[in-house]
Amino acid sequence: MRLLLILLLTLQLNSIKADEIFNLLKIPNLDVYKLNNSNGLKYLSAKKDFSIGYKNNIRCNKANKKNLDDKFNLIEKNLSIYEKDFLNKINLRFIVLCENLHISEINTAGIPDHKKRTLILDINFNERYFERVIHHEVFHIIHGSFEDIFDEKIWKNFNDKTFEYAECSTCSDRLGLDLYNKTNGFLTEYSKSIASEDMAEVYSFLITNKIKIKNIANKDSILFDKIEFIKNGIRKIKNIKL
Amino acid sequence: MIKKIKISFSEKILLTFIILLGIFSFSFFFIVKNKCLFVENVDPEKIKFINRQNIAIMNVECGNVIIELNPKLSPNAVKRFKYLIQNGSYNRSAFYKVIEGTLLQAGDLEFGNIENINYYKVGSGKSGLGTLKSELNEIFKFDEGSVAFARNDEFNTEDSEFFITLKKIPLYAGEYTPIGKVIYGLDALKKIKVGNKVQYVLRPDFINYFKLLE
Repeated sequence: MRLLLILLLTLQLNSIKADEIFNLLKIPNLDVYKLNNSNGLKYLSAKKDFSIGYKNNIRCNKANKKNLDDKFNLIEKNLSIYEKDFLNKINLRFIVLCENLHISEINTAGIPDHKKRTLILDINFNERYFERVIHHEVFHIIHGSFEDIFDEKIWKNFNDKTFEYAECSTCSDRLGLDLYNKTNGFLTEYSKSIASEDMAEVYSFLITNKIKIKNIANKDSILFDKIEFIKNGIRKIKNIKL
Repeated sequence: MIKKIKISFSEKILLTFIILLGIFSFSFFFIVKNKCLFVENVDPEKIKFINRQNIAIMNVECGNVIIELNPKLSPNAVKRFKYLIQNGSYNRSAFYKVIEGTLLQAGDLEFGNIENINYYKVGSGKSGLGTLKSELNEIFKFDEGSVAFARNDEFNTEDSEFFITLKKIPLYAGEYTPIGKVIYGLDALKKIKVGNKVQYVLRPDFINYFKLLE
């Protein structure tokens, strides 16, 4: 029995070629793309397709070199707004770039993991939303690291009492990312999925379209409270001394 | 009368070739078997060290590996490392994780001793001394022969396991708590047994003994 288990373990690990990046992040088939950035972010790219997670439910394809080179400046420009000190506080250090990212067969723009200080980004995600989505995913890292500051119970109280979020972000058909004309407390359809996605949507619009959002908030008291909540939370994190 | 048959010239060449091939095969068998044949064993007594109190000697199958510890960069980590060396805790500790040409890891005191290695749990063992707070800095460059404490996915989980890099790995700067650098004997480390494509090694090589110079 013992020998059989060892054999099985060996065969299972055989499919993964261990290297120094796998040793650190437990994600196989990655290459260093760019290391020396002023804010300390380390960019890695998929040199081959990879699968990770429970039953390999997260998978992503190799990043085509030309495609990556074309999109990297945009990614770097958006992430360069974050200072090193802030990134250290929120636990973000590694950006993994790949194509066609899926979790449980659902295409997703990014998968954040604040414990491993890693954000996996799909460089092929819809260009129309891509920049905003980067900040949306960054917020999930922030939220994961500071759940006490961004308390979902407080957040839910901002909404109309009759409103209920879905049970999870992927078990809802509220997926639209376009800004509503009539907001009624929510910026997009996806905001209505779950509280953390709602927070991430508010945050991402605040970063990418601050003026428009402020104008909307002046006419929408629920959104006004939500925006102030996010802004105060970020301020608290920035004031934390490491 | 039997006529004496003379060996022709071509037969002489063939015979010489067969004898030489035999000698070559015989010696090659022993050379290949001895993986340490071309590794120079360093004698620490013949070297003059400036900080003798920060010199550690790890003896492996192919000889001595001499490590200069750096307590200025990571005082708590080096203190723990010295304590474990002085206690003999690392003696017979297996290099259970080896990534060929990249790094090797040892120091699981609970499940990684060669006398009672536990293949299911190796890498998850504890020293019983508790975890250490990570002492990170970006000044320390992870190049060939860098020694650092291993940790799990999160910081502040360093305990007794350590790894030594066999090549330059800039990605590790600021990620792991540095302990020191190998100053002699890197060739002996490069002969440590690797797994077949995998990072975990069955029947691994181990540390014969680990001691401080003073």
